Amino acid sequence: MADTVLESRPDLNLDVVRDEIGDVRTEEMLVNMGPQHPSTHGVLRIVLRTDGEMVLEAVPHIGYLHRCAEKIGENVAPYQYIPYTDRMDYLAGMNNNLAFSLAIEALTGLEVPKRAQVIRVIFAEMNRIASHLVSMGAYGLDMGAFTPFLYAFRERERILDLFEASCGARLTYSYITIGGVTDDVPERFIDVCREYLDYFEPKIAEYNNLLSFNHIFVKRTANVGIISAEKAINWGLSGPSLRGSGVKWDLRKVHPDCGYDEYDFDIPVGQGLKGQLGDCWDRYFVRIQEMQQSVRIVRQALDKLAGTPGEYKHKSGKSVKLPKDEIYYEIEGARGQLGFFIQGDGSQIPYRVKARGPSYCNLSITNEVVKDCLLADVPAIIGSIDVVMGEVDR
Amino acid sequence: MSQATIPWIEPVPEKRVAMRRKALLVLFGGGLTALIVGCVMLGVFRALPDQVGTIVFILAGVLPILGGLGLIPLGLLNGSVVLTTLGFAQIGIGALVGGLLKATPIDPLVVGVLLLVIGPIAAGLAMLTAAGVIVAFKQVVQLLLMRWTALILFCGGIVSIILLVWAHAFVFRYVAQLANDTTLNTSATTTFGGDLTIAELSTRFSGNWRPVAFVLWPLQFGLIRDLIAMGGVIGFISIIPLYTIWWERKVAGRIQSRLGPMRVGGWHGWAQSFADGMKLICKEDFVPPEGDGTLFRLAPYLAFVPAICAFIALPFATTYVFRDLDVALLFILAMLGIEVLGVIIAGWASNNKWSVYGAMREACQMVSYEIPMGMALLVPVMTAGALRLTDIAKLQQDGFGSWLAWNNPFCLIAFFCYYTASLASCKRAPFDLPESESELVAGFHTEYSGFRWSLFFFAEYAAMFAVSGLAVILFLGAWYGPLPLSWAPAGNDIASAVVRGLLFDGPILFILKCGLLLYVQIWIRWTLPRIRIDQVLYACIQVLLPLTMLVVLGSTFWLLFDNSAHPAFESFAKVVRGLLSLVGVVISIAIAGFIIFGFVNRRRLVGTLAIEHFPGS
Amino acid sequence: MNVNTWLEPIVFFLFAGVVLFSAIGIVLTRNIVRAALFLLGTLGGVAGLYFLLMANLLAAIQLIVYAGGTLVLIVFGVMLTSKSPWVRFAPSRSEAAAATTIGLVLFAALAKIVTGIDWTVAAHPADQPATVRQVGNLLLQQYLVPFEVASVLLLVVMIGAAYLARPEN
Repeated sequence: MADTVLESRPDLNLDVVRDEIGDVRTEEMLVNMGPQHPSTHGVLRIVLRTDGEMVLEAVPHIGYLHRCAEKIGENVAPYQYIPYTDRMDYLAGMNNNLAFSLAIEALTGLEVPKRAQVIRVIFAEMNRIASHLVSMGAYGLDMGAFTPFLYAFRERERILDLFEASCGARLTYSYITIGGVTDDVPERFIDVCREYLDYFEPKIAEYNNLLSFNHIFVKRTANVGIISAEKAINWGLSGPSLRGSGVKWDLRKVHPDCGYDEYDFDIPVGQGLKGQLGDCWDRYFVRIQEMQQSVRIVRQALDKLAGTPGEYKHKSGKSVKLPKDEIYYEIEGARGQLGFFIQGDGSQIPYRVKARGPSYCNLSITNEVVKDCLLADVPAIIGSIDVVMGEVDR
Repeated sequence: MSQATIPWIEPVPEKRVAMRRKALLVLFGGGLTALIVGCVMLGVFRALPDQVGTIVFILAGVLPILGGLGLIPLGLLNGSVVLTTLGFAQIGIGALVGGLLKATPIDPLVVGVLLLVIGPIAAGLAMLTAAGVIVAFKQVVQLLLMRWTALILFCGGIVSIILLVWAHAFVFRYVAQLANDTTLNTSATTTFGGDLTIAELSTRFSGNWRPVAFVLWPLQFGLIRDLIAMGGVIGFISIIPLYTIWWERKVAGRIQSRLGPMRVGGWHGWAQSFADGMKLICKEDFVPPEGDGTLFRLAPYLAFVPAICAFIALPFATTYVFRDLDVALLFILAMLGIEVLGVIIAGWASNNKWSVYGAMREACQMVSYEIPMGMALLVPVMTAGALRLTDIAKLQQDGFGSWLAWNNPFCLIAFFCYYTASLASCKRAPFDLPESESELVAGFHTEYSGFRWSLFFFAEYAAMFAVSGLAVILFLGAWYGPLPLSWAPAGNDIASAVVRGLLFDGPILFILKCGLLLYVQIWIRWTLPRIRIDQVLYACIQVLLPLTMLVVLGSTFWLLFDNSAHPAFESFAKVVRGLLSLVGVVISIAIAGFIIFGFVNRRRLVGTLAIEHFPGS
Repeated sequence: MNVNTWLEPIVFFLFAGVVLFSAIGIVLTRNIVRAALFLLGTLGGVAGLYFLLMANLLAAIQLIVYAGGTLVLIVFGVMLTSKSPWVRFAPSRSEAAAATTIGLVLFAALAKIVTGIDWTVAAHPADQPATVRQVGNLLLQQYLVPFEVASVLLLVVMIGAAYLARPEN
């Protein structure tokens, strides 16, 4: 048998693990996905060890979007830190602002006016809708359905128009601040918002027809990336990723703040409709249903807003002094439990700010889940976990 | 066009003026010189008819050789490849002409007129036109930006292609008629095997009509006619991908609630593909250094050439076919099958794991789906009893009911099987895993950029058109309209020819039907998500292949009984045929209805982009 | 002198040249994938020769089966088993000697056969090339047994390949 002689050119597979020459099937490859990659949501690098089409191991490498947000928190006052929180989970900026503001208010005992609370709920839920729209659209794009992405962004455009009218920005709002919101809602806000909700709600059914119940989409996502409830809790998942595995846990119900207990809404959980409980489709469908619940909440809040006059901000939000105490405060962000740990030292500037990004914890389960799945399933799994690298890297 | 920047034009305004002046000098000067040379030679040939042989021999034979002998040392001394090649080319031309004049019985007047009269005059006219365009650039751009330009170009293009083909057929027939005319074709002398010589033709066309004889003489050779026809075919094939890409972008935009290209060229961005083509040509020629360079450069052509070759045998109408092969169907399938190799080699030679993955998936998919595709095509072939596409088409000339798709239920199912398999064979969504952008960056053509990349896309769209063409010919009535051919006005005058061509039988109908199938392909691509490779292969081997086999079997049994030996079954078959035609009418109306609905509501479907903004605070 | 009489030898030599050049390329090249591609040239050239002989059906089938099927299989096999684009052949001396001997013997045998045959062509080749119908009839009537044996052979090959490629457990 003629020996094959390798010339001295660099090889494709420098790190290949080879069996006896001739046995092709157990040749493993290290494949690098990212950090620039159309389907990892942001700058995420995943090194996959594959055996042919089967993935054996996936190691995420993060840190490409690290911007020292936590260190910066030690140098600026809380009201100045709000814009930095915007940029963490940049798709759901209002929720980040809300988490930080609530943490500072809980630490200092600041009282938020009623009207501000209602406004906060409206904007947080609208931003949850916008964030879930992006998640849904990008997920469809990963699966090769180009069109729902543009429909999602079309709806999102109107939400962003509302936000722009209220606070002047489309992505990094800094609207919800210490003690309330920076400014009252504009004049016809309630009517236009209601109009938008009436326009948007039937669209969710359209998206279900176009994408959620599409046979090909279901085949790509059902029974893929199954996470059992126990595993989800053990690995620290939260948000739709946790609820997709059947665990009914939502901080808006468990310890409601900001007046969430006054609104009537359900917590959608995965039910294994299209496959096994806890697969990618369940996590995706939980987000679709959450959009519907958010619409419900916003409607109730809009009704309430008309009847809640008053201040929109506490007077001393800007000059609040942090006691020599520490607090860890979590809320239900768009992607899971978003928490801030703030340690004050008596002055205006915190001693330590730590952000718990839900995507950071959700991403950790990647290696566990991709074992023995195909290469084409990796984007499906990552898309269903819905990571935003701003939150992971901070 | 006003938005496109052409890279080889100097962006700095002062340098641009100098460049323009130099270009105008060269073009005007060169053009005028060439024209003068051509006219002078024409005069010389008319004045000295007996010396033509020696004149041509010296001017076109000896002079180039001497010039080449002079250029070659000059080029070698200066190290200029261009000059050396020019020198060799000149020697080559001189030798060829000299050899032709001395060794073959060719009429030196023919060579002389071609090389020394027609050549320079044509070159001169071309250069003067280019100079004119440069002088009147702004006006030309204004003209192209007008609203009706696109429509005129489009319709004019189609009409002129049809007229061109018709004129070709007419002229060829005329020349053949002349050849058979014994009063003209008197002598038995032949030049290069053609019966008519210049001398004989000159007896018919004399005096001021003499040039016509020169034009008609080469047209009697099959080789020349084939070359002209091939030029036409290749030209048409090159236009199809350009416009299919533009159309796809518009349709994709509308489906996605946006508009698609709108700026380049004026009306709805009709010149977008040209602008993209120019940009792609000017891109850096990047070859991955660690890959196999020769194979890397070869692969796009391995994908592109077979797609074009498929059009050799694809008929557009009964007489609009380059070669009416008796195994046309097999030939087209063979050509589409060779494309796989281009894809595999492209992935391999890129030295990129992702490209190799894409190439492997692609090859698996294409090769697997060739089986149901071929088997589904067997059904209409069995029904028609011929592999020759024009014969199969002839059976479908009696109106909507005679189209092979409604011939028996198995044909209908075979149509859908074939359409699905052809989608996979062309790597179109939902089977576009090899190109899946979200997963493998771009699959097998990740490392390709510029013109090589566009060749892959040309191949894909040409193949799309070819498979749509096959579907139309074999199932959807080829180039015949929904009304029976017997209702068409017979007669050779212009009016009835136009009516026949538009309504009953003609390439326009064929192109329209292919366009409809292309539209459905585009529609499907932008609606459905992508299927995973194992699901793709599962669908092929475990679903489509058994279904196709059942359909072939069923069709065999149907054909066994559907003949005059079984009159009862034959009448039953007629009833079924009628019902299926009804089904076909319903489907056609539904599709037409969808399209009309989409067109009528096109503004609403664009969504909220055009709606008033909320008054900001 | 008919245009076809001088055109046909040119085209024939063109195709024959492609076939020969590709065949020599297969033998002389050291890169396996390039060898497979040269095989494409050979098979395509032979198909061209078939077209020149007006055997359209045979040419189309040559392209479908060989160039589009067998060759793809060979290229697959070559690519899956070679570990880098630059793997080269380096036959040992004994292998080269054995190959040369076999080649010479084969060449001698072929030369003897070729020179011993009477190559006179029939004065008129068939006026109409054999149609698909005739070939089909022949395959199903006169040559039915070889036809069926060939399909059984293919079936055996497929089953063997599936068995060989089955997963370990």
